[in-house]
Amino acid sequence: MKNVLKSIIFMTILLILYEIISYSLITNKENIEKYGIRVVSNNAILTEEKNTIDVVAIGDSLIYSSISPMIIWNNYGYTVFDLASAAQVINDSYKDLEYAVDTQNPKVVIFEADVLFRNPKKVPWYYKFTKLENYFSLFNHHNNWKIYLFNFLKTDTTNNIFKGFKYINKTVSAKEKDYMKKTDKKTKIPENNIKYFEEMKKICDENNIKLIIMSFPNMRRWNYSKHEATLELSKKYNLEFIDFNTETDILNIDWKTESRDGGGHLNYVGATKASNYVGEYLKKNNLVEDHRKDSKYNSWNEAYKQYEYKLKNN
Amino acid sequence: MEKLIEILEGLNPEVDFKTCNDLVDGRHLDSLSILSLISEIESEFDVVIPTVEIIPENFNSAKKIWELIERLEEDN
Amino acid sequence: MSYFSLKYLLVFLLAIVVVYIFTPKKLKRLLLLLASYALFLKVSKKLVIYLLLSTLSIYISGLLFKKIDDKRNIKIKGVDKEKRKEIKEKYKSKKKIILICCILFNVSFLFIFKYLTFFTNIINIIFSSDIKVLKLLAPMGISFYTLSALSYLIDVYNEKQEAEKNIVKIMLYLSFFPTILEGPILKYSDVKDEFEKKSKVTYKNFCFGVQRILYGLFKKFLIADRLNMFVKLVFDNYTNYNGSTILLGALFYTILLYMEFSGTMDVVIGSAEIFDIKLPENFKQPFFSKNISEFWSRWHITLGLWFKNYIFYPVSLSKPVKKLTTFLRNKINARFSVIVMSAISLFAVWSLNGLWHGAGFTYIAFGYYHFILILLGNIFEPLIVKILNKLKISRQNKVYKFLQIIKTSFLVVLGELIFRAKDLTTAIGMLKSIFTNFNITKINFLLGMDSKDYIVLIISIIIVFIISILKEKNINVREKISEKHIVIRWIIYYALILGIIVFGAYGPGYDPVEPIYADF
Repeated sequence: MKNVLKSIIFMTILLILYEIISYSLITNKENIEKYGIRVVSNNAILTEEKNTIDVVAIGDSLIYSSISPMIIWNNYGYTVFDLASAAQVINDSYKDLEYAVDTQNPKVVIFEADVLFRNPKKVPWYYKFTKLENYFSLFNHHNNWKIYLFNFLKTDTTNNIFKGFKYINKTVSAKEKDYMKKTDKKTKIPENNIKYFEEMKKICDENNIKLIIMSFPNMRRWNYSKHEATLELSKKYNLEFIDFNTETDILNIDWKTESRDGGGHLNYVGATKASNYVGEYLKKNNLVEDHRKDSKYNSWNEAYKQYEYKLKNN
Repeated sequence: MEKLIEILEGLNPEVDFKTCNDLVDGRHLDSLSILSLISEIESEFDVVIPTVEIIPENFNSAKKIWELIERLEEDN
Repeated sequence: MSYFSLKYLLVFLLAIVVVYIFTPKKLKRLLLLLASYALFLKVSKKLVIYLLLSTLSIYISGLLFKKIDDKRNIKIKGVDKEKRKEIKEKYKSKKKIILICCILFNVSFLFIFKYLTFFTNIINIIFSSDIKVLKLLAPMGISFYTLSALSYLIDVYNEKQEAEKNIVKIMLYLSFFPTILEGPILKYSDVKDEFEKKSKVTYKNFCFGVQRILYGLFKKFLIADRLNMFVKLVFDNYTNYNGSTILLGALFYTILLYMEFSGTMDVVIGSAEIFDIKLPENFKQPFFSKNISEFWSRWHITLGLWFKNYIFYPVSLSKPVKKLTTFLRNKINARFSVIVMSAISLFAVWSLNGLWHGAGFTYIAFGYYHFILILLGNIFEPLIVKILNKLKISRQNKVYKFLQIIKTSFLVVLGELIFRAKDLTTAIGMLKSIFTNFNITKINFLLGMDSKDYIVLIISIIIVFIISILKEKNINVREKISEKHIVIRWIIYYALILGIIVFGAYGPGYDPVEPIYADF
């Protein structure tokens, strides 16, 4: 019995210490009051300066593998942020969008169509466990000790240099195949997902945001019937839909050299093409402004330097 | 026994073999010395030491080695 | 699946501990077996059949050996010496047939899964043939459990180990979940009593186990994973760097490998300790070794012992080798004959050791590198003794010892360079660069690590170093900590746990080390 009591006291003190450290390592404490420490740590966009993000890209791994905001920053001067998590379900996309419009004033939202077809009810139980790390928020921002400790050494590590992008330096080639062959098969978007999508659309309308649906190259899970279903949805709400899987000549992806996992996601070469296209698209449609010369955005220039350094040394 | 101590001292003069009882575990005898020891014993005492008997317990002290030799001689 | 993942530590292990506490005594062992097979099935799925076949084969062979021994013992009762020998021989040859069949059976699985691709490729190159290369996914831990299986088999054959009648224990012996992935390679006598005793999870066992696991996590996340960035850069593209940076890369890799592997062993041994099961140690401060052969008795100890017991001595004392050495002994001298004897068996040991580490030329070269170093050590030993006597330097001299430790560590670092290199040409290129393009003022430190990383790295290494020195002096650090006042004890634990979480090299920007030994 004594030992049980001891263990409980031990765990309590541990949790308190943990929370203290977790709090002190958050860089932008402004949003903590409003959302709590966990939400801030899990949603990197909440540590960005207020009203500095022009475009948010919401979706699953296809977003964080295809759009590198730093490339767009360097070539076009637009501030893009990836709000993406692996195997994201639309309930989370909705939450992410809510947080984004709360502290930011984006003009454009890019939404990855793949999320529409992931039924949250059918996501296996272990899915919850992969999110275990999210409940222990310190796991996400622990590396901020570099900002606070040993400052007699000058190494500038700013908070977020990837802006949601995940850099994975790997190439696994895929065999070319016609994965977009026309079929009569119909795929339905789950009820729940349509409901959430409508809610997201509402948020965008209220905030004057242009919502664009995109489907980034993915030969593993994407197919013709999903394309058709998404097209129907986009027509219904009068939205623009760009499918890089059908309009292959936009990016001209060479699956042999431009995939990181044999067809599931683009590698960095592919992502560079996709990111540049997104930048070009924003420019052509005159949707956002170039901030490269604006001193308010100096931290982005700083971040780009470090981004380049990280890439070279990886 | 005298003869055995003599052989052992030939292998590693820096050890007091009369008292030491961690010859193998204390790395006073490495595997090469053990091979030398075995071939010396085999030619001196006319016994055959089978692989099975090469365990640290049998070689950790001069006394243990001597016991092993006696046991093998009996078996012969 | 890695022993360092949250899934293993906070889900799998914790769940088993909780269930274990509430399981009735009689079923506890069965629970561990179920957990072990659950893990195996999750990783290797259908391939579980090969684990079962190996288990069954040694179990049945063991029982057969026992049956034959029993029959023989009845027959030799009251028979005179001459006849006794004859009977013994007769039964022995019966056993030998079973032994050989069972060894071949088990080794053939290992060969097919691990080496078939490699040898098909070699044959295709030599004969410029075009045999189709089969690519097979090996059952989890096959290199480890096969060696354990063989040790049981041979020990029972030699009557050093009694045959086990309870198949549950043999199954658990080969599949025990903490050891299945990366060892230690168990002898049955290591764990028999541990499996039999009425073990339960006590407060003390739990604390000690967790403490040991935390130490492993510390080594892995603060040191190994931090060094990985540097090591990867250097080894992936060595031509970009000068010799001194390459040497630093090799040194970092050696530290990484030690921290990763010995850290895994801490998690493994700590996991078992929670269940009051004591596993043999696999490391004993290897970097305090004074020569290469001592290094191998302190690094991956259970593997070294396996090769010593089942390859080195049996080959040395086999009939043909003995014939040759007796001949040399009479013709030349005793010293020479022993050198030849050891050379032959060392060659066998290191050929197999290299291959065991992986089917590739770098691993084979890694094996022969050590073979040559140990053989040279044996040959020059008398000369060194002579020189030392002349100079009146004792082997116990502290400076001499220190220089020997530095020399050994340097040789080990070069060996690990060969081990890690992509292929043999790369290894040679890197070694060449170290010896021809060395300029200590041009070391590039900031590869994937910034100066703040170095501070954490150096402090962590110093902590491990101090603990190693204490261990080397036979001071039981863990007992010492548990004797301390509760406040100090808890501060140590809190510092350790939070230190790992905050300063660990994981998450964005870091690439974890893949479990190096798990593929073998």
